[in-house]
Amino acid sequence: MKILDKSLSVWQTGILLFILLFANKILVLPSLLYDGAKMNALFIPISLFLLEFFLLFIFYKVKKRFPNLSFIEILRQNCGKIVQISVYVLFALFFLCKAVLLYNVTFIFFRNMIYKDSGNFIFLFCFIPIINHMAICGLRAMGRTLQLFFPVISVITVFCITIGCFGVTNMPLLFDSSVSEIFQTAIRHISCFGDVAILFLFMDKIEVKKGQWKIIFLFALAGAFLVTSVITLFLFSYNYTSFMHSYAIFEIMNYIKETAGLGRIDIISMVLIILFAYFHLSIYLKGFLLAFDGIFQKNDQIFGVLTFDFLFVIIVEFFIVNLETAVVYGQTILPFFEIIPFVIVPIVCAWCFMRRRT
Amino acid sequence: MEKLQQRLDDIKEKLHNSTDLADRCISLQGVDVGFVYLKSITDNQIFSEAIFKPIAKLDIVSFESVSKAVCANDVTSIKKSEINENILKGAVVILLSNSNKILAVDILKFNTRAPQEPPTSPVIMGPREGFTEDIKTNMTLLRRRFHSEKLVFENTFVGNDTKTQVVISYLDGIADTKIVEEVKHRLKKVKIDGVVDSYYLLSLLANRPDSILKQIGNSEKPDIVAAKMLEGRVALIVDNSPIVLTIPFVFLEDLQNSNDYYTNYIYSTLLRFVRLIAIFLAAVGPGTYIAFQLFHYNILPIKYIITIADATQQVPFTPFIEILFISLLFQVLYEVSLRLPSYLGLATSVVGALILGDTGVKAGLISPPSVIVVAIAKIALYTVPEQSSQLTVLQYVFLLIGASLGLLGILGGMIYFINYANTVENFGAPYLAPFSPFILRDNKDGLLKVPLSKMKSRPQSFDTESEDRIHENT
Repeated sequence: MKILDKSLSVWQTGILLFILLFANKILVLPSLLYDGAKMNALFIPISLFLLEFFLLFIFYKVKKRFPNLSFIEILRQNCGKIVQISVYVLFALFFLCKAVLLYNVTFIFFRNMIYKDSGNFIFLFCFIPIINHMAICGLRAMGRTLQLFFPVISVITVFCITIGCFGVTNMPLLFDSSVSEIFQTAIRHISCFGDVAILFLFMDKIEVKKGQWKIIFLFALAGAFLVTSVITLFLFSYNYTSFMHSYAIFEIMNYIKETAGLGRIDIISMVLIILFAYFHLSIYLKGFLLAFDGIFQKNDQIFGVLTFDFLFVIIVEFFIVNLETAVVYGQTILPFFEIIPFVIVPIVCAWCFMRRRT
Repeated sequence: MEKLQQRLDDIKEKLHNSTDLADRCISLQGVDVGFVYLKSITDNQIFSEAIFKPIAKLDIVSFESVSKAVCANDVTSIKKSEINENILKGAVVILLSNSNKILAVDILKFNTRAPQEPPTSPVIMGPREGFTEDIKTNMTLLRRRFHSEKLVFENTFVGNDTKTQVVISYLDGIADTKIVEEVKHRLKKVKIDGVVDSYYLLSLLANRPDSILKQIGNSEKPDIVAAKMLEGRVALIVDNSPIVLTIPFVFLEDLQNSNDYYTNYIYSTLLRFVRLIAIFLAAVGPGTYIAFQLFHYNILPIKYIITIADATQQVPFTPFIEILFISLLFQVLYEVSLRLPSYLGLATSVVGALILGDTGVKAGLISPPSVIVVAIAKIALYTVPEQSSQLTVLQYVFLLIGASLGLLGILGGMIYFINYANTVENFGAPYLAPFSPFILRDNKDGLLKVPLSKMKSRPQSFDTESEDRIHENT
């Protein structure tokens, strides 16, 4: 039963990576990208995924160089305790802020679509116990749960994308915005990326045997490809009215008239959004907990979860109350936090590599 | 004579002069021979023909001659401290005035039923015999299936007062020795006054006794237990119980059915998918119906909304109360039909299901869609009867969640429950294996079923001593 010994198998890591790359980019992001870069919005996820893959490549290198060490040990040995704690504080903030954004976007979608006029508490009451439970039960249980739901998730995703293909009527004109518009839009929405950084926090719990890295990279490629497909289908379906339709995956299903005989198939996309919201928030909370443990070195999960819940509820309840504030929060505050995965982590890793060499 | 009589009286006194306790004392060639036994659990004919008569004919009466004269299979020399225990297990204890040695002859006999088809697991094809309450019969039923020296029966006794015989059975060289040792260790640790049935051991041996999840397998059919032992599991046969426990247990075992192995494999695969859908319907069907009716009616197709609205507009109760009422009514009827004699049970079911249901709908107290939803969920429960108790509890939990939190709550509840199940491991076997963690090899007999010739190895979900089931070169 050696396959069960480690916390996360390579397949479970791949599925987790797929969710990190896919889940938070299929709801409001496509519409916002169009709003900023018109049809050239297509190139933004591709370019930002390159950054994400760069981060994954760094992870691959670090894992290969320090196969049995945790990220805490790597940082402590090569950069000192202060740097380690500082990086982990930033990580904790990063995951908390990203969880807040994801929750708000999902909450607003559900309130508009299926929970008419419901308050915030019904959603908090749904999400908080589940994500707390998943994070506390550990990576092994989480990995297995993701593995069990993955066939459902992948079938629904492929179904939504296949159905979405019916909506493509004509190819829109590309290159209708300037390079600076594309660049500015990419920077504004970079907060949807960078989740791969969580892999660093539990790198010692992943067992990757020789030749298995390609599985992880394949899942990452699949996630990136499917996100690009969803965005492409959405833009090709709604063309110049894309900015008016906030919820991409749901709107793709709504657009198709050929499948009217099947009934309300858009419900299927809602199930997908719900599953993604639960899993992605759980992963963020786990990231927060691991960072929290790295700061205090106490391994007190309950304290970490209570801290997260408290901060999460305060921010959600008092600071971000509607889609507009959520979008502003995601476009103005959160991009600064992306320095953590895309700047700080590579620099720190490069430093560790250099130290090791000397 | 008096001295031996005194010894017999002492034994009787220790057994509280029980009314079914018999003692006889005879004098042969100047030697007194005493017999003590329990009339209620011994074979009187064997006692008289195989023990009493041969001893009465002896010319020289000594311990050796008596033990040779007795025509029984199980004759043992015992210590003084073991007298009561042997009498209570159905042995005749023989004492001699010229010897301190004591002889025990097992002539246990009580009425047992013959192996029949168990009511809980009838089959269309395949063997129909089931275990009985007699442990020896149960061991025979297993032994008949293994003409191999690999089959091991190990005795142990559990329960301070009942001293129930528990036989640990496994196939040597196939079952993992660590699992066998762990089972023995846990049985040793059991400190309870009595074990009346094998179900008593379920929570005593489980890793997490407070969990809703079933953690130890059980079956009434020897062919199923034999198949599980061939996969490397350990069986526990408990005296006085027709249910044999199997360890380790994974959820998949309940999704499988003995019929699956006696019919076409494609049909078996189809049935397993049907069972999975039925489990889903049973657990979350009513809850999802309530969630859509209360929270998400706007995303339902318009024709469906009209049908539901037409059917429910006269109903005075809220949808939740209505479904809860119907569910409880079904549960009451189920309980009644189980406990009443069969002819009355049938009548009650007819009155309850047909008359009460029909009248309730006509009176406008309940709506037809609600009755259909609950009926489907209740019927679906019994596609996997071994999990029906867990699914019934889940049905009510999801009903409450659906009524209070809607679809988000239902899906959240499912994730919570599956994640919880993923934390459970029984004797090293993950509860939801081979689905999560996904084990490709075990999935050949998972949701999909491949032909037996393709199942070349034993499950990987738990440890076994030998992996190969089909050897290519033989």
